[in-house]
Amino acid sequence: MNEVDPLVRKFQKELSTGTVSFLLLAQLAKADAPLYGYQIAKQLEQDGDGVLSGKQSALYPVLRSLDAAGLLQSEVEPSVAGPPRRYYRITDFGREVFSAWRSTWQQTQTLVNTVLEGAPQ
Amino acid sequence: MNAYTPKTIAQYLDMLKDALRGADASLIRDALYDAEEYLRSELAANPGVSEAELLAGVANSYGAPEEVADIYRDTEVTVQKALTAPKKPAQASAFKRFFAVSVDPHTYGAVFYMLLSLATGIFYFTWVTTGLSMSAGLMILIIGIPFFILFMASVYAISLVEGRLVETLLGVRMPRRPLYQAKHSGWLDRIKALFSDSRTWLSLMYMVLMLPLGIVYFTLAVALLSISVSLIAAPVLWWLVQLGWVSFYGDANISMGGLNPAVASPLLLLAGIALLFSSLHLMRAIGQWHGRFAKHVLVESGAD
Repeated sequence: MNEVDPLVRKFQKELSTGTVSFLLLAQLAKADAPLYGYQIAKQLEQDGDGVLSGKQSALYPVLRSLDAAGLLQSEVEPSVAGPPRRYYRITDFGREVFSAWRSTWQQTQTLVNTVLEGAPQ
Repeated sequence: MNAYTPKTIAQYLDMLKDALRGADASLIRDALYDAEEYLRSELAANPGVSEAELLAGVANSYGAPEEVADIYRDTEVTVQKALTAPKKPAQASAFKRFFAVSVDPHTYGAVFYMLLSLATGIFYFTWVTTGLSMSAGLMILIIGIPFFILFMASVYAISLVEGRLVETLLGVRMPRRPLYQAKHSGWLDRIKALFSDSRTWLSLMYMVLMLPLGIVYFTLAVALLSISVSLIAAPVLWWLVQLGWVSFYGDANISMGGLNPAVASPLLLLAGIALLFSSLHLMRAIGQWHGRFAKHVLVESGAD
């Protein structure tokens, strides 16, 4: 177990590095209204366990870099509960990138599933 | 979890700040801002739950302060790598660069290669002349042709070994594997490939050339090193004799254009040191040149 654990964590980390931006973009492409960090994190949490469980803090830096790359647009609004919240919405460029990523993802998914088929548990 | 679980948001933020100690100030500010936003939103979303209860659960959603700190640090490293251009190495002064030659491993590799090249040069030259003349002599017999083919294959193998030598001592990247041969090609095809490859013939030439080159390299290395070492040793010995710490049966004398030996000896010492380091520079340059030459002849010339 102890030998497997670090390798599992490494695999999770690498997977989440590759998928976090994609997941965030998908979440925002679905949303009707702009979302702020906490809402996005909670929605992802509801959708199930996975590479991001317990690591919601990893989302914030990614949101910022997507914003800087022009895939997202953000504005700050004051809130009653705490510090002002930064609301993110997807840009047209972001949608374009998302659909390109999506087809890459689908190809990868098909590949992984095909290779996994028949592999012993 | 760890030492203790934070009871208030302020405590959590303090722990996060602690965990990020030493990191970039703007990174710390971003991380604290994000955490505060998340925690306050969590608190607002769960009315009736105390801060302490809420924070106990946070380790499984947002992450414990140490984990969060690690995530931000990792992300920052990735971002920084992408943002910053590679740094230029600091330009050392000419004086430093002149003496730095003595700590460069390539210098000694080159010196050793130059000393070794007499031996390898003699071996290569003998191998090639013997192989070629025996092939020519045996041509009238049936074994002449297979002998020639085997000999040429050996030239190819030796050129790989020489490549390893050049890479180890001179620091020029050389191939570790032979040329790829299609697995199912017949032995006739392989022989044809061996003879139609210009590198095989150039390797032959290289091996012949290594004898004169080896002689020059060896002579240069021995002469330069011994002259500069004797220039350094002579004044030291002269002073030791003058001080009576060392005695010779003969006479220890330094004569340089009628100068007093006491004046001439430090000049000789300086000249010896200058010559020694200049020789190291020269030999390192020769090593670099030979490495490029070997790579060109043995590897690049016929590459498609």
